[in-house]
Amino acid sequence: MIPRKRNTDGSLMDANDLAAQAWSSAWAQMVDAGMKAVRSSEVLSGQRQAEVEIAETPADVVFQIDKVRMLKYHPLAKKKSNAPPVLICYGLFGRQTMIDLQEDRSLVRNLLADGIEVYVVDWGTPTRADQYLNMDDYIDLYLGSCVEKLVELNNDKPITLFGICEGGTFATALAAMRPELFAGLALAITPIDFKGEPDEFWQGEGFLNSWIQNLSKDDVDLIIDTYGMLPGELTGAIFSSLTPMASMTKYNIGLANMDGNEAAILNFLRMEKWIADRPDHPGEAARQWLNDFYRENQLVEGKLEVAGETVDLRNISCPVLNIYALQDHIIPVSCSKALSKFVKPALYQEIGFPGGHVGVFVSRKAQGVVAGGLSEWIQKTQKPASKKPAGKKPAGKKSVTKK
Amino acid sequence: MANSDNAFQQMFDMWQQGQEAYLKAQKEAADEFSRNFADAGSANAFSMGPDAMSNWQGFVNSWAPAWNPSAMMANGSADQLFAQGKEALHGMLDPANWMNHAPEQLRNILNSIAQGPQFADLATPQIDAAEAWRESLDYQKAAMDFAKIMQDAWGRAFKRYSEEFTLEDLQSGEVKEALDAWLKAANEELLATQRSPEFMDAQRRLMRAGVEIKARQRETAEAWCENWQMPTRTEVDDVAKIVHELRREVRKLKREVAALKVAREA
Repeated sequence: MIPRKRNTDGSLMDANDLAAQAWSSAWAQMVDAGMKAVRSSEVLSGQRQAEVEIAETPADVVFQIDKVRMLKYHPLAKKKSNAPPVLICYGLFGRQTMIDLQEDRSLVRNLLADGIEVYVVDWGTPTRADQYLNMDDYIDLYLGSCVEKLVELNNDKPITLFGICEGGTFATALAAMRPELFAGLALAITPIDFKGEPDEFWQGEGFLNSWIQNLSKDDVDLIIDTYGMLPGELTGAIFSSLTPMASMTKYNIGLANMDGNEAAILNFLRMEKWIADRPDHPGEAARQWLNDFYRENQLVEGKLEVAGETVDLRNISCPVLNIYALQDHIIPVSCSKALSKFVKPALYQEIGFPGGHVGVFVSRKAQGVVAGGLSEWIQKTQKPASKKPAGKKPAGKKSVTKK
Repeated sequence: MANSDNAFQQMFDMWQQGQEAYLKAQKEAADEFSRNFADAGSANAFSMGPDAMSNWQGFVNSWAPAWNPSAMMANGSADQLFAQGKEALHGMLDPANWMNHAPEQLRNILNSIAQGPQFADLATPQIDAAEAWRESLDYQKAAMDFAKIMQDAWGRAFKRYSEEFTLEDLQSGEVKEALDAWLKAANEELLATQRSPEFMDAQRRLMRAGVEIKARQRETAEAWCENWQMPTRTEVDDVAKIVHELRREVRKLKREVAALKVAREA
């Protein structure tokens, strides 16, 4: 409760004076808030969709399989690092453009500035023609082929794979299936144990896990069979509902609070542009993601099969950096940290970032903590391999899949 | 041909017998009707004389023998009957009752139509319509249930805000603090609600009901496509599946050929 105002002599203020002062104060604050909203609105009305640009760091396609492309970013540093190239793999629920949202908040640019060779997987835009693509295709065929190609481009030497969110789960599974391809595995906001520790969840944490686990297999099948794909609009609406008040106030109070600050409004619009561009998730892969991963937790149960092979996380043999967000409302901390149970302690490192799911990439703080931490980990732990892994076939020549 | 003539004759006989039975039944009812009016003992059967009530009861009984007004009156006073009637009338006029009870009854009726025995060429459109209607009611019900849970959550949030942020706080004129307190109370209450089993159950039912309607729309669209000789979604999906499987097969064969080449070169 706010303490009741007093006169200068310490006595309680007269009720009429109090009311007049309160009204005057309230009116002044409302006018101030209104002016802020007007100023933001003015800046907003001057912006055009086409002028809000994201992911501007130039890159070239170096490999393509079906709709999936692997791109190489143009180097930014004069001196090239000796570290192995890094391949970044985002999930299918959003676009990889998140890692390069704007020039001063770009994970890609930070790595490039340190002389690291950076590649990215672009899953393309799946349509209903792609609805039968499943985890065998995405993990083993598509991601596996991209990694193989990069190993080949790296003179048959292993590379670093940086997986994000669902892409991190793909990367983890592939690192367990094909350890010889990897010099390092970095992950960000990645679910491993899909149940996590519900007793440890903070108030806004783990809704996605609870909600999906509340569905039956039949519910999931009904959605996929009906839509063919998991629609981007549906997943977008679910993500918004995880933070109800933040979603309800961002276009009014949130915008007004920006007080016409052009830089802040442009950051906001770039983020909105990324959120609005949410592709449909291929149906069969979504069915497995919801049933096998979320509902049945097959990855940590040791029951997940990809391309006819059971994924055993204990096979991961390269250094691992696991970055999670302490206020992540989508992937609970305990779901990410569970990887530590499967990787040898000498190989495993963590960074707990004090921010949210997307903040790991776009917040100002993240540029130092996450991008800086990742770059440092790559340089320290991954000495360039002078020759091919002993006793192993050249990685690039090994068959990608058993299909 | 003789057999055919016989068949027509049989059908004609059956029709004639049916007509006669119907007319006979009508005649009996008409006779009973006449007798009751004659018993009224007056040229004007509708005059309300001393026997008017018994005449009326006799008339009604001739059409509905099971009706027993004495037993009905014995169940309670006229006031009680009136109260029951008033309640029923209110029930009919109260939209809340339509949503809570009528759709459930209607739903059961629609379900019994939809789930009833299916004949090869008969009543299929009616069965489809009944199912579509039932699904629509399911969706309305699920949406209402979900909305009620959210409405209750907002109610709790407001109650909590009223308790935590007092009138004196409001009198301070600190609008921003009032707004922040409201947003905090609402956020915490909504998050708590979203974790409750009631919310999750309602969310699941709403999702299912929505998807079932979408599936019905797809079925309707497919029927339209078929009528206009256009490829249906199912047919296009089938082609996509065949292409997907062929692509896998081609990749597998390519790998086998490559492996054979390597083996031969070695």
